Amino acid sequence: MSDLIDIKVNVNGQLYERSVEPRMLLSDFIRFELGLGGTHVGCEHGVCGTCTILFDGKPQRSCITFAVLADGHTIETVESLGTPEKMSTLQQAFQEKHGAQCGFCTPGILMTMTAFLKENPHPSEEEIREGIDGNLCRCTGYQNIIEAVKLAAENMDSKS
Amino acid sequence: MEIKGDYTFNGPRPVVWSVLRDVNILATAIPGETTLKPISATEYEGSIKLKIGPVSGVFAGKLTVADEVVPESCTLIIEGKGGAGFAKGTGYIKLTEQPDNKTLMQYTGELGIGGKLASVGQRMIDSVAKSMIKGGLEKLEKEVAQRL
Amino acid sequence: MEKKYLGQRVIRNEDPRILTGRGKYMADITYHNMLHAAFLRSDYPHAKLNSVDISAALEIPGVIAIYTAEDLGDYWHPGPVLVPAPHSIPGITANSRTQIPIVKDIIHHQGEVLAMVVAENRYIAEDALASIYVDSDPLDAVENVEAALKPGSPLVHEELGTNIATYVRQERGNFAECKTKADHVIHQKFIMDRGSAGAMENRGFCANWDEDAQQLTIHCNTQSPSGLRNSMAAWFGIPEQRVRVVVPFVGGGFGPKVMTNQPEEVLCTFASIKLHRPVKWLEDRAENFIGTTAERVQVHDCEIAFNKDGKVLGVRDSFLYDTGAFNPYTATIPLNTQTHTTGMYDIPVFLTEFTSVFTNKMICSPVRGAGRTYGVFVMERMLDMVARKLNVDPAKVREINLIAAEAKFPLETGIIAQDFAQFVLDSGNYPAVLKKAREMIGYEDFKKNQQPKFRAEGRYVGIGLVLFTENTGVGPYEGTKITVGNSGKVFASSIYGTQGQGHFTVFAQIVADQIGCKVEDVIIETGDTDKFAWGTGTFASRGATVLGNAYHHTATLVRAKILATASRLFNVPESELELGDGMVKVADMPDKFIKLGDLATKANPMRGTIKPGTEPGLEATGFYAPPYGATAYGAAAAIMEIDPLSFNIKFHKFIFVDDCGTVINPMILDGQLHGGIQMGVGNAYFEKLVYDENAQLLNGSLMDYLIPRATDMPTKMEIGHLNTPSPLNPLGIKGVGESGTIPIPPLYCQAIEDAFNLPDLFITEVPLSPSIVYSLVEEAKAKK
Repeated sequence: MSDLIDIKVNVNGQLYERSVEPRMLLSDFIRFELGLGGTHVGCEHGVCGTCTILFDGKPQRSCITFAVLADGHTIETVESLGTPEKMSTLQQAFQEKHGAQCGFCTPGILMTMTAFLKENPHPSEEEIREGIDGNLCRCTGYQNIIEAVKLAAENMDSKS
Repeated sequence: MEIKGDYTFNGPRPVVWSVLRDVNILATAIPGETTLKPISATEYEGSIKLKIGPVSGVFAGKLTVADEVVPESCTLIIEGKGGAGFAKGTGYIKLTEQPDNKTLMQYTGELGIGGKLASVGQRMIDSVAKSMIKGGLEKLEKEVAQRL
Repeated sequence: MEKKYLGQRVIRNEDPRILTGRGKYMADITYHNMLHAAFLRSDYPHAKLNSVDISAALEIPGVIAIYTAEDLGDYWHPGPVLVPAPHSIPGITANSRTQIPIVKDIIHHQGEVLAMVVAENRYIAEDALASIYVDSDPLDAVENVEAALKPGSPLVHEELGTNIATYVRQERGNFAECKTKADHVIHQKFIMDRGSAGAMENRGFCANWDEDAQQLTIHCNTQSPSGLRNSMAAWFGIPEQRVRVVVPFVGGGFGPKVMTNQPEEVLCTFASIKLHRPVKWLEDRAENFIGTTAERVQVHDCEIAFNKDGKVLGVRDSFLYDTGAFNPYTATIPLNTQTHTTGMYDIPVFLTEFTSVFTNKMICSPVRGAGRTYGVFVMERMLDMVARKLNVDPAKVREINLIAAEAKFPLETGIIAQDFAQFVLDSGNYPAVLKKAREMIGYEDFKKNQQPKFRAEGRYVGIGLVLFTENTGVGPYEGTKITVGNSGKVFASSIYGTQGQGHFTVFAQIVADQIGCKVEDVIIETGDTDKFAWGTGTFASRGATVLGNAYHHTATLVRAKILATASRLFNVPESELELGDGMVKVADMPDKFIKLGDLATKANPMRGTIKPGTEPGLEATGFYAPPYGATAYGAAAAIMEIDPLSFNIKFHKFIFVDDCGTVINPMILDGQLHGGIQMGVGNAYFEKLVYDENAQLLNGSLMDYLIPRATDMPTKMEIGHLNTPSPLNPLGIKGVGESGTIPIPPLYCQAIEDAFNLPDLFITEVPLSPSIVYSLVEEAKAKK
């Protein structure tokens, strides 16, 4: 076993100081060190996108990122978006349009789309489809996910 | 997977042959931390540390030299296994004298791999094998030059 | 009885938890003193195991224990047969070989468990795997089902003297005779491969043996909590009443998670009993590819006998089925193939026989579609052959051969199904589904007006239209317990596994309609064997049909109790009572009402008496058992364009028509179809587990095994519905879970052929891929 390394990471607005093994994955750090279980792990080789978090605002696969690389950086996970009582506009749209079935890939898709909508608040259907192309979902055939993102963009628009 | 190719050394055939049959040189020609020690005149045991895409590990194995026709041709049989899978290969090497004191090496081989190495590393194996052969031949070439 | 919720688009009760990352899945299950397991798996598909040296691995700090076969003692034995052979069929051959928890002498497939490491954390456990030395001698392996039956083939199970696992022959009419009477007979070989279930969440298992309480608690993302409870109880000699299985949210099932007695389940339980600590294992994706059951190849040798008017007289289908190294699920998949081949067609003569073959590959078990896909594939392809031979439109050939709308249902087929009863078509209007599909896709318009234009422009745009049936909702039974709580919330529990199908909502809709409460006030509790002990599991698209009707029946019992209790309370006849808005009201007397929660409190007094002969509380338990499965059916049609350079497919239009009887929730229904279609797209164009000739898997990662992405899917899946209620159950429901998957591969074949319009392009093997279609097109062009 290797020596522990001290890191400071801002996760969902809170600063955490921990000592971790250099080989600890960021996904495991978020899940098991910080107890934030919303970030799921689907493939552990960076393909499925389930573990996507925002790293300094940009979507990143936490399963192929070492926790030590997050030292001094800002992480956002699905827990930052909303609560069961008060879901975000995007989450509400996913409920309204049935954009989630088993819900396992959903946190990764929500994080990817949160960043996507910030960059492109008025996306076309085709742009949304390409935007989620890096995230695998086995339940929905993606159609209702795309509908949900479309609705969320509309609702964000009418709110602003 | 089939391996096939040729390479022309800037040196006469007996020198090239001596380099090829020098186990210490052969070990350095294989990238990674490779050890090879003879257990008989034609058999060697050792280990090689390999990284193919996401799969890496130490493979313990055996190298056998067969059908040796000095300084012309031989068959190499490699068997190895480790935590990341296993490999079994047969290669045939032929040296032909060329004008200007050069030597043409022709090689053909079959490599079978299994385990995680095959199921996860498959897409990278071709290019890794090619780059290993290229790197190895360059090392051998240097050694030939030194012995001239 | 008002149907306020049944048939309505109700948004899901479970979504707020799932969408905010609060839903707990297997990876979230934890105990403070929990240990982590990792498994050393065989690299070789077939080998003699000489020894496993664990001494170096045991030295690693944090390693608690390492187990090999010897350590299991009497707990080492092959697992049980999970589904028996169909012994009601005369003349069957049934050789059974079941999985063992850990290899003792012979390795039968890549991925088989050789050793188990238990450590303080997963990282250390995996470190230890790399330090275990295995000495084994590889043996010749069996990869191909046809080669496996040739003399001199290596044998997967030497002592059997053959690689034949099961042989079943069923015949309706006499095919040999039928052939002599037909105008034409065509003979064709077809190959269909299917792959991994590919649930986004891999398997997981956590066993906690409480020595003090003599209680085993298991958390697992199983599709069959009751099956798992019973199997672990039997394996370890614990009364099943002392085994509790709890299933958290599950990240997709699609079939393999129904398997019980899996090596990891046995070994984690064993380790927990030995170590008196909770032991948990989470499968990773690389393990999933070699350690989890999947579906795989069938090779069909077919004949179709038909007349010059296009009427099919008979079909013969002799097929080989790759069952893998063991066959605990025996013949569910090939029986499903046999029962779905002639589908909704009126084909008087049908000879179907299969040979299930052992190979040195992972065990084959049902994956969404579960055998039906192969039958539908060969039948739809054969009808396309008839269309070509007679130069008739493919849709017309189908129309000629459909079972008539006036047919007298139920229709017996003479073929024994996966539930060992005769396969019966319970109800349906098949011409209507074809008609609707033609209209929705614009079949005639495309053929007549659009396609000639595309062809003139040199574009490859083709249309396909195929039909399918799906036998769903088989027995034996499901049951539920429903309780109205003092809070007014209604708790409705079953043992059923749930993997994202919207059970927390659709069953709540059924219950809420009977109880007269809000759908969000019905709390569906699933997959905890201590909450409800009876039931079987999630398979064969049976949730909505079997459990849905059990919920309905039980809710009517609770409704009767509510009415009886309120009748006594208000001293009015039940006929004057109304249920709604979470309360019982006396008709026409606005001030006489009681909330359900208050009524529940009154029905369970803490002092005094209740009326003798009655039961306290507002609670009932009920069951539903179908006589046989209800058969859903439908059509898929598409207009697709193939890019002549990349051979990627772009959909101009995609439609799907489905008749699953009564619809509970159209939003969830369409979602089920979307996901099914996606898996069908994978089966048609992307997903294949590739093995080399030594049965070595070559594409065991999501980089190389391609699950369809968003841009691989039709841009719009338009869904149409017919509603022919099943006469078999009170709600008239038929299942839908697998429908979407079933017809997609033959749809791709037909449309691709239509796009290229080459006489020698006829596709007989799936899955396809861009490069395969490119090669087929080039070959066909060369012949021209």
